[in-house]
Amino acid sequence: MYIPITVDHIARVEGKGGIEIVMGDEGVTEVKLNIIEGPRFFEAITIGKKLEEALAVYPRICSFCSAAHKLTALEAAEKAVGFTPREEIQALREVLYIGDMIESHALHLYLLVLPDYLGYSNPLSMIDEYKKEIEIALKLKNLGSWMMDVLGSRAIHQENAILGGFGKLPDKTTLEEMKEKLKEALPLAEYTFELFAKMKQYKEVEGPIIHMAVKPRGDVYGIYGDYIKVSDGFKFPVEEYKKHIVERVVEHSFANHSFYNGERPFMVSAISRIANNAELLYGRAKELYSQYRDLLQPTNPFTNNLAQALELVYFIERAIDLIDETLAKWPIRPKDEVGIRDGRGVSFTEAPRGLLVYTLEIKDGRVAYADIITPTAMNLAMMEHHVRMMAEKHSNDEPEQLKLLAEMVVRAYDPCISCSVHVARL
Amino acid sequence: MAGKIRIGFYALTSCYGCQLQFAMMDEIIQLLNKANIECWFMIDRDSDEDRDVDIAFIEGSVSTEEEVELVKKVREKAKIVIAVGSCAVHGGVQSWANDKKLEELWKTVYGDAKVKFQPKMAEPVEKYIKVDYKIYGCPPEKKDFLYALGTFLVGSWPEDIDYPVCLECRLKGNPCILIEKGEPCLGPVTVAGCDARCPSYGIACIGCRGAISYDVAWFDSLAMTFKEKGLTKEEILERMKIFNAHNPKLEEMVNKIFEEGE
Repeated sequence: MYIPITVDHIARVEGKGGIEIVMGDEGVTEVKLNIIEGPRFFEAITIGKKLEEALAVYPRICSFCSAAHKLTALEAAEKAVGFTPREEIQALREVLYIGDMIESHALHLYLLVLPDYLGYSNPLSMIDEYKKEIEIALKLKNLGSWMMDVLGSRAIHQENAILGGFGKLPDKTTLEEMKEKLKEALPLAEYTFELFAKMKQYKEVEGPIIHMAVKPRGDVYGIYGDYIKVSDGFKFPVEEYKKHIVERVVEHSFANHSFYNGERPFMVSAISRIANNAELLYGRAKELYSQYRDLLQPTNPFTNNLAQALELVYFIERAIDLIDETLAKWPIRPKDEVGIRDGRGVSFTEAPRGLLVYTLEIKDGRVAYADIITPTAMNLAMMEHHVRMMAEKHSNDEPEQLKLLAEMVVRAYDPCISCSVHVARL
Repeated sequence: MAGKIRIGFYALTSCYGCQLQFAMMDEIIQLLNKANIECWFMIDRDSDEDRDVDIAFIEGSVSTEEEVELVKKVREKAKIVIAVGSCAVHGGVQSWANDKKLEELWKTVYGDAKVKFQPKMAEPVEKYIKVDYKIYGCPPEKKDFLYALGTFLVGSWPEDIDYPVCLECRLKGNPCILIEKGEPCLGPVTVAGCDARCPSYGIACIGCRGAISYDVAWFDSLAMTFKEKGLTKEEILERMKIFNAHNPKLEEMVNKIFEEGE
């Protein structure tokens, strides 16, 4: 008789989920990621509501990537009503987005992942032994939060990004200060990269993975795009995603699972961005990528950790450039008037943990249809596949060891479980 | 309190923003020197919901039958229970839909599919257990946590806030978004403590800290002002319900304004 191995509540991830591994005579028979976070019905609750109010509510899907939700929802809404923001507004929105990226990556790498590698149950108990790492984590995290404070009004659930631009813009001195802080943070990001380059990538979960990421606008590695690139060479316009990403309800989860062309699990993440768009990197990140590309093989989910560290370096330099571009046009107007007309808009962006899509249909100034698919929902099927691979290779291990390894696979994906359970309309 | 204080952070259905805000305060490192974490899944693998604690922080709204059991257990294990943030205190934005039926919401999102858990309409924690103290906000401000925790650590009891965001906004000298720009700002009825964060960016308050208790939250006078600005009753209720869907007096007070005018 076999007792299933279960992790009731996976620690150090955002949201509530569990892992269930069932063994039989032939080895692992069943692997399930149980998403037990309650359902939150974000699409359903915002249907029929005023657009501006719905836009204030969408970021509440998730605190770890609220800026990503806000900015993706905003772009979908603006596309729906036929409005295109000025270049400098787009640049500042990207800086706000990068604030989220920096905060989220720093938090994931240092506070959620690193304790496993160093043998701790939580990051706070690492302080005596690893003071430097905790200090770097807080400095990077605080930089990202402060960028979101300045441009978004706060680090979690930003209200200052609105239709047409921003409620209020920071003054020139504050943007110059932001640039200086970003410059100071660059060596910390490089330290992070070197640190994670030494971490073990478990070969047990190595194999082919289909990666999806946006084809970035302007051919510069970034967050916004109008096409999706698949690592098998296929490319499709964002409006056609329903043909290629199919969601299914699964019984053990409040979150749907997504499949590429109807059946194949796929991955979205920092390593997916690197897999599909590495040639668009520039600056120090490009040099690091050339030097370490053997460690950044997109065939292993554990490389996502190192890919996030590389992105810390990249996005810090990118934000400096975007601020320079904006300052060159200073002073700028914070917003333009947006006429609300009926329409439908699709926006795909690169959230810290991978592709995020919003489709909004606007009728009479209200949301008539909403479809949101989050990175974690897209990743769940692939994540289960990798937990299974790990479990199969370690089926004879002590349960505690197997639990830890299974959790580490899940954590490498940086799942955002709260995000995944708003769940999409079928 | 003598010795190390035992704390637990428990998540119900939420965005995890309250915990994130709490975990991300630099000051937490000093404060937690005085504390043992007994349960806090977001940052500690060695967490256990069954351990006794001195202070239990609960984030999120009660949205599954399993969460009903969890809050009851936490109440039994904890000396002080603090409801943290808009979801735990007021049911959160997921309660914005409480004019619809669960079946309807379920069908919109999941179709005819079944899952093995038991969902329910989102509700505040207080609906199921006695809550000793509330920290408002979506998310709460860092100083809300520092004040509450600091006060408990010296053996005292924090005070509740009973004045509105509007007051903080006036003190900052911001132009009035409601009167001067005619936008539906909820500052006059919303619990203060954010230092009028959104109005200071020129954005109308959406009431994320929830309404001050109803004997001082004048939904009716604000509804009258909104009505004069041309908003319909439905528009007013919708806006006031983003974070106050469970408020027992809201509907009655807004209705009054429209009945009187007809």
